[in-house]
Amino acid sequence: MATIRHSLQRDVFEPTEERLIGVLYVTKPGKKKKTSFLCATINKEKPVYATVHQVKKTDKDVYKKKNSWPLRELQVVDGRDENKDTADLDLTFDRIYKWVANSAPDKHAFIQVLWKLCCRYLPKQKPQFINIPAELIEENINLAESGDVTTSALDNVDAALEDDGDYRALSEKEQMDLERLMEQCDSAVSNAEAFAEQLSRDLSVLDGANIHSMMASEAQVEALMVMIDSAYTEAEKIETRLDSYDEILLHVKDSIEKMADKNTSIEQTNANNSKLLEELDRLINQLDLPRNYVKDLYEPDLNKAGMLPQAIQAAAALQLVINAPISSQLSQLQAVQDEKKRFDKLRGRFSQIVSRHLNNLFIHLGNDPGETLSLHAEQLTLPRHGSIHTELLPYTPLMHWIRALDHRAYQHLNKTYATSISKLYERDIRLFFEEARQRISGGRRLRGSGSSQDIASMSGVAGKLTSQIKHGAQTLGTRTNTGALLGVDRDQWGSELDMQERQKFDEIFERVLSELQPVCLSEQEFCIAFFNLNATGNEKAPSSVASTPGSSGSEESSGSAGTSSGAGLIGTPGSGHGRPFNREVRSMMAALFTTLEQQLASFINTYDRADSYCCLYIYVRLSEHVLTAEDTGSFLCTTFGSCLVQAKRNFDRFMNSQLQSIQECRVARKKCGIIPFIINFEEFAKTAESVFKKSERRADLDKWYVRLVLAMFEYIPRVASEHQRTPPEVIKMENYHVLHQLMFQLKLPGMDTQKKEAKQRYQEALSAYVTQYFGRPLEKLNQFFDGVTNKVASGVKESEVGYQLAFSKQELRKVIKEYPGKEVKRGLDQLYKKVEKHLSEEGNLLQACPIMVVWRAMQEEFIRQYKLIEDLIHRCYPGAMINLEFSIDDILNYFSDIALSH
Amino acid sequence: MREYKIVVLGSGGVGKSALTVQFVQGIFVEKYDPTIEDSYRKQVEVDGQQCMLEILDTAGTDTDDVPMILVGNKCDLEDERVVGKDQGLNLAKSFSCAFLESSAKAKINVNEIFYDLVRQINRKSPEKNLKRPSGRKPCCLL
Repeated sequence: MATIRHSLQRDVFEPTEERLIGVLYVTKPGKKKKTSFLCATINKEKPVYATVHQVKKTDKDVYKKKNSWPLRELQVVDGRDENKDTADLDLTFDRIYKWVANSAPDKHAFIQVLWKLCCRYLPKQKPQFINIPAELIEENINLAESGDVTTSALDNVDAALEDDGDYRALSEKEQMDLERLMEQCDSAVSNAEAFAEQLSRDLSVLDGANIHSMMASEAQVEALMVMIDSAYTEAEKIETRLDSYDEILLHVKDSIEKMADKNTSIEQTNANNSKLLEELDRLINQLDLPRNYVKDLYEPDLNKAGMLPQAIQAAAALQLVINAPISSQLSQLQAVQDEKKRFDKLRGRFSQIVSRHLNNLFIHLGNDPGETLSLHAEQLTLPRHGSIHTELLPYTPLMHWIRALDHRAYQHLNKTYATSISKLYERDIRLFFEEARQRISGGRRLRGSGSSQDIASMSGVAGKLTSQIKHGAQTLGTRTNTGALLGVDRDQWGSELDMQERQKFDEIFERVLSELQPVCLSEQEFCIAFFNLNATGNEKAPSSVASTPGSSGSEESSGSAGTSSGAGLIGTPGSGHGRPFNREVRSMMAALFTTLEQQLASFINTYDRADSYCCLYIYVRLSEHVLTAEDTGSFLCTTFGSCLVQAKRNFDRFMNSQLQSIQECRVARKKCGIIPFIINFEEFAKTAESVFKKSERRADLDKWYVRLVLAMFEYIPRVASEHQRTPPEVIKMENYHVLHQLMFQLKLPGMDTQKKEAKQRYQEALSAYVTQYFGRPLEKLNQFFDGVTNKVASGVKESEVGYQLAFSKQELRKVIKEYPGKEVKRGLDQLYKKVEKHLSEEGNLLQACPIMVVWRAMQEEFIRQYKLIEDLIHRCYPGAMINLEFSIDDILNYFSDIALSH
Repeated sequence: MREYKIVVLGSGGVGKSALTVQFVQGIFVEKYDPTIEDSYRKQVEVDGQQCMLEILDTAGTDTDDVPMILVGNKCDLEDERVVGKDQGLNLAKSFSCAFLESSAKAKINVNEIFYDLVRQINRKSPEKNLKRPSGRKPCCLL
């Protein structure tokens, strides 16, 4: 029920600002199903009026007001029976509404609510309450007795009603007070008048007392005023006193401030003094050169053992004091200047002594014989000069000292070292290359050597590309009529090195390159360390060239190792992978190895001229060294690099001359046979393959293969058409065949297209040859049947051809008689001899015998013709029993007999 | 027929050879083989005149005061661009030369580069001084 109340209040009455006071669940009498709620409500606003609503629950569980009557319209509330508990309830508004409540107590509770509402809001015109137990409609019913549900409902009613009135019942306490008061007076109840009089009497007494006490306090107030006055005077006095104190304090403050100022200035002076002292201390410390060092510096005896470390220490101390960071103001101090002068004198003296010592040492060391005597060594060896380095290394700190403090002396020493040591290397390298030449070719005089070109190339500025190009042009000039050219017959080649000598050259060349590497490297490293060449911060040394625009150092993005060397080898200064080699290092190295590039170039040129194939070896070996080198930009690498560019040019020139020789090839022999450039290509390719086997530069060779082969494709037909005797088809067939076989055997990579083309061209030439030279051995028969075919084509039925006069069976028999088996065989035999004459012997050297191939192709052609004729006979002369005088088996026998007999 | 000498310069791996081979042979070379030095010849017709171009594809870098065109290659790799077009234009301005972005792979601006050079040479030395090499400096797009 409480839930229903709640939802009714919330859903139905809240929106209309009403408050639900009582609710009763009712049905129409006799219609149990039709349920509804009777609700008694009051509105929340004033003036308050009560309303009775009939609320129904719809099918969708929604409450809806069905009827509403203001309470004042309620005329009769009929409980039906006063004495019996009945649930019937009749309410009369505009007419009588009869309802049955769900229970009697609920009905009673609702009637009570109505009663209360009526009492409150309709006191004058209460509706009639009939047939209702009297206790329900008493004015003041005892709530406690009327049971649980009723009580709570009525409580609600009371609470609801009391909210709105201003009537307040006496509280318990007030009631008790009142009672007590009344008890005190016996007559209170009985004689009200006396009681009231007594009360007013009491009141006047109390009033009097109150006035009296007020009057009595006046004197006290006066006393208080006096006290306040005196306190005020007192306070004024204190204030005056305080003011005087304040004045005094003001003076004190001034003096204290003055004292503080004085104090600060004293402290500052103190700090300044100590700073000055400190500065002076530092200055003195910085410029302090221990006395024993001075002696070491003044007259060092570098020749005496054990003296060197002492001198180095002293030099370091001197460098320290000379380079001491002294501000320019301090440097103006006379004492500092004096001291500096003294140091300068010491520096000059020491530098002179050390320079003289090192100078002598360099010149002395210039006579070093090297660690191995190359002449007696098992293998070709370039002498190492580690001993020089070991001897000089202890002087490294002194060298650095001179570089830092006496640049002129440093440069002088640098030059002396370069001159004396370069003589050493010059001799070594000259002997080294002589030895290398000796080992390759013995004392034999090589083609092109000894001419003035050798000297010419050496006297020029080596390594300069222009001179090399010129030189290259000269070598090209000498080569044209002597080199191993593809397009020239082998017996016309000049004297070349043989394969063994080439291997030897390759071996020695590799040895030369790898011998140069450690020697150059160790010298370079020594120079960098000893002369402090990579030092940065020296204002006279050019700073690192790593950032030279376009240097190759930064291009490693492509990820392929060694690519930079390709770019760096032109000679542009480039930085290597890690350590940059600056110009100083390179110029030092160039001064030391003055003749290296000349010697190397001349060595290469000697062999390049002596043997045309050498340029392949040189190119591959050099590129190997340059492309795998890690110290890109080093002296040796740049030297090798410029040689490599030259080698590449030589390589390209070699290939170009091969190409040219193909283009210029002429065959003067009676029988053309295999063209020289095809014959020579085998050896050429085999040599090239052996050289380039694992080289990184294979791609360069492959490019040239394609160009050469394409040139061959172009020039084979030209040679074929120009030759006087041999039919062009034979030349083409033979040469394409051999070329294809070569490419197949050599397994040249990346040439599949060319291989296919060679094969195709060969087959085309073969069939062209067969068509042309096999011809029609059964000429008359062929002519006869050509006529037959023409007739058929012009509309004569195949079966009626035999009735034409020219093509009668008699005629056919006559023609067939002309070709007995023996005659055919004889014809074929002659043909074979002709073919044999056409074909060259060289072709036979290869796997497939070309004449057999040709013969077989001819056999197939013959059989094709035979079958054609036979077919026409069957179709045009059916049942005539005419056959050729020989069968296919006969043909096969003829061919194999002829082939075997030769 | 007039001969024109053209030099291709630039850092390694930027596509000098690819550009040259694309121009001369019309092939795009996928494989990277560091070039040592290659020379190519090609006959072309520019502005109605037959020209023989001799192109030197180098490994090194060098610039000189000659007719020049700056080329930014690999412009097909737009996603991986590191050198902005403005940078290229500015550099070209500082060299006071033309600037083109090309792609050897996609055949963009390949002919234009060489034709432009031929025209530049024609303008600078009309038909007498034969030796006029021209530098090109591709920028790296990676």
